[in-house]
Amino acid sequence: MSAQAAPVLNARGLSKVYGNLVALADADFAVRPGEVRALIGSNGAGKSTLVKILTGAIVPTGGRVEIGGEPVPLGDPLGMIRRGVACIYQHSNLAPAMSVLDNIFLGRQPTGRFGIVDTRRQRREAAALLARHGIEIALDAPVGTLPTVKQKEVEILKALALDARVILMDEPTAWLASADVARLHATIRALRQRGVAIVYISHVLDEIFAVCDTVTIMRDGRVVAESQLAETDRAQVVQLMVGETLARETVAAARQQRRPRGTGEIRLRVRDLGRRGVFGGVSFDLHAGEILCLTGLIGSKRTELVRCIFGSDRFDAGTIEIDGRAVSPRSPVEGIASGIGFVPEDRHREGLMLDMTVTDNLVMATLDRHRRGPLLSLAGMARAGRRAIDDLSVRPPGGGTAVKLLSGGNQQKVLVGKWLALGPRILILDEPTVGVDIGAKAEIYAILRREREKGAAILMVSSDLEEVMTVADRIGVMVSGRLSAVHDAGSVGMDEIVREIGGGTP
Amino acid sequence: MTAPADRRGTVRARPAPMRHLAPNALPVAMAVAVAVFALLEPAFLSIDNLVGIARQVAIVGIMAVCMTFVIMTGGVDLSVGPVLALAGLAAFFALDGGHPLPVVLLAGLAVGAAVGLANGLTVAVLQLPPIIVTLAMLSIARGTALIVGGPEQHLIRNEPAYSFIGTGSVLGLPFSVYVFAAVAGLMILVQRRTPLGLLVAAIGDNERAAYLSGHRIRITKTVVYVICGTGAALAGIIQSSQVHTALATYGPFGTELDVIAAVVLGGTSIMGGNGSVARTVLGVFFLGILNNGMNILNVPIDIQLIAKGAIIVVALSVAARRA
Repeated sequence: MSAQAAPVLNARGLSKVYGNLVALADADFAVRPGEVRALIGSNGAGKSTLVKILTGAIVPTGGRVEIGGEPVPLGDPLGMIRRGVACIYQHSNLAPAMSVLDNIFLGRQPTGRFGIVDTRRQRREAAALLARHGIEIALDAPVGTLPTVKQKEVEILKALALDARVILMDEPTAWLASADVARLHATIRALRQRGVAIVYISHVLDEIFAVCDTVTIMRDGRVVAESQLAETDRAQVVQLMVGETLARETVAAARQQRRPRGTGEIRLRVRDLGRRGVFGGVSFDLHAGEILCLTGLIGSKRTELVRCIFGSDRFDAGTIEIDGRAVSPRSPVEGIASGIGFVPEDRHREGLMLDMTVTDNLVMATLDRHRRGPLLSLAGMARAGRRAIDDLSVRPPGGGTAVKLLSGGNQQKVLVGKWLALGPRILILDEPTVGVDIGAKAEIYAILRREREKGAAILMVSSDLEEVMTVADRIGVMVSGRLSAVHDAGSVGMDEIVREIGGGTP
Repeated sequence: MTAPADRRGTVRARPAPMRHLAPNALPVAMAVAVAVFALLEPAFLSIDNLVGIARQVAIVGIMAVCMTFVIMTGGVDLSVGPVLALAGLAAFFALDGGHPLPVVLLAGLAVGAAVGLANGLTVAVLQLPPIIVTLAMLSIARGTALIVGGPEQHLIRNEPAYSFIGTGSVLGLPFSVYVFAAVAGLMILVQRRTPLGLLVAAIGDNERAAYLSGHRIRITKTVVYVICGTGAALAGIIQSSQVHTALATYGPFGTELDVIAAVVLGGTSIMGGNGSVARTVLGVFFLGILNNGMNILNVPIDIQLIAKGAIIVVALSVAARRA
């Protein structure tokens, strides 16, 4: 550890103001060579703003940034890259159809005479890079064919090929299975060894304690704490991030009395459901007033299963009964008519109309109810929107705000609210808290428990085991397209679930 | 550069006048154009000329407000030109057959609706790219018009009721302007106050999310092309009535570009989503003012085309800064 070395990146007094919103206030942030620094905070805490300033995407309202002791011009993305600051975003920035080699050198291929790309030199440099950092990857494979973790490595290689001295990683493991997380962490440790500074932005505390040396905690646009991770613990970190009330609420959620099989009334009966080549032989019951969590690895076909139940995908084997009546929804329209609500995994691509207002999004699944003759009742829509905003504590509370201006957690609340407006008899949620901060998570759990008390049957896909252990009444484990077991939540430990997820015998 | 919040707006931020200008770029550009033309030629502001502008824009205007929904869904309809010609021909043949006016109008509109239906179904059900589908339809519809209409002009004579649509006036305003106003008013209402209007924006913003929210995307998409085709047909009826002629080559190449330009000038995103019928009406009048003003100033047609193109790009680039 080089804790005494001079910071390679040193930001002082950064602030950013949008209109009357202070996104970042007088923030100091520094990272040293060979340091892995966690940057954490609720959504809206100012992390993204800080990162955008450091990558040159936006110009701060005030403050300065030094790299290697020298002040740098701000708001200059290319300049930041040249000075060795690289950022790996949550969503891939690679060209999927191009090879690993081409991606690494994208936009700055070494050229020989007549401007022709010098592929031999590319290959030589790339091979040296791989050897130096102990990464193994086929240089000619199209990036799109690689598993997600390998794609992350390609992005890291791309950064290293630019002689990055500081690599910012935004939620690098959001789409990775747990075995791959360990792999990525090994890569990060190797980078640290070589003196690269890493800024690790994540909501997952386990990962932060596993791989980071130091932590910067942000709240409400300010840096509220900095410390060595060895000198702190999870409770303290959570405390600093969300303040006391929400932390206590999260604990209360964990202690909430579980109700396997809810009211005992079977709302959804699935028998031998299958889709050729995807999943098969899935049977379970979902009861009114319970939360059934389906967990498993990414790629264990949980999403595909719930899509078939909702009707946005087709199944070709087995039966689905809702309230004892056989159904085979062939479209979301039919799924909704059967009383199913579906919160999809990717809220940006499948959930929300980002340019439209909060109110428009909230009524999107229930437009027919606001129809008065041929017209829509705008007043009725506004009323419904206001009620939902209050119920879900969406912030900022204006129904006329474009959804894209909300933080991730608040966007997610709007998405859930859209389906609650339907009064669904069955609510399906696919990874409802990915990329959502701890505070908003607790609020979403509270909303789900409330719906459960009202008698909704809730089917939730989640890879976050802590979440599963907290909110589930029963836990189903999917392995490679099979539902291997369903447990009452109180009667099974996390270790056991972990073993099953990995494919071990129950 | 170390001062905190109080120095906001000083670091490379857009100067304040520009920021206020951007959302109003189009009205401001219109005001500038009007002022320039009025200074150079005071007759520009005469009542007769202003009424003339309204009459001149009615045909493109009707097509543009109907095209707005198509573009808001992320599509486009390049086939409006020949549809205009086809509708005029259909009306002519219906008149020629001695049918009453309602049947004549219905025949014209039905042709547009049918072409729109074909466009819509191909785009929505076969999921082909709208630009290709309607480009093909542009060709098919023109060919059909040439077969049906032949090369000759079909004169529409002694049909006072039909001729009133394009040439009559009420309270000093051409009847066609009332038709444009009615269509624009209806489309603004549909956009702001009906499920269809909201759904059109939703599809353009995020089609997948709209589908997963339980909306019938195919039907909605088909409907917007039917609306667009019907609007083009209505424009064709007005045009044939105005010039007392139906001709297979009416609505020549470039008609669709004028229509699309008006929509885009109105701020509707060519990528879909954001859009407004009311602002399309502004875009229509902006183009109309440019055309009329340059005609009055006797600007040669070649220079007019270049100037128009340049002004469109400038106006759009200012409007784009509002993002």
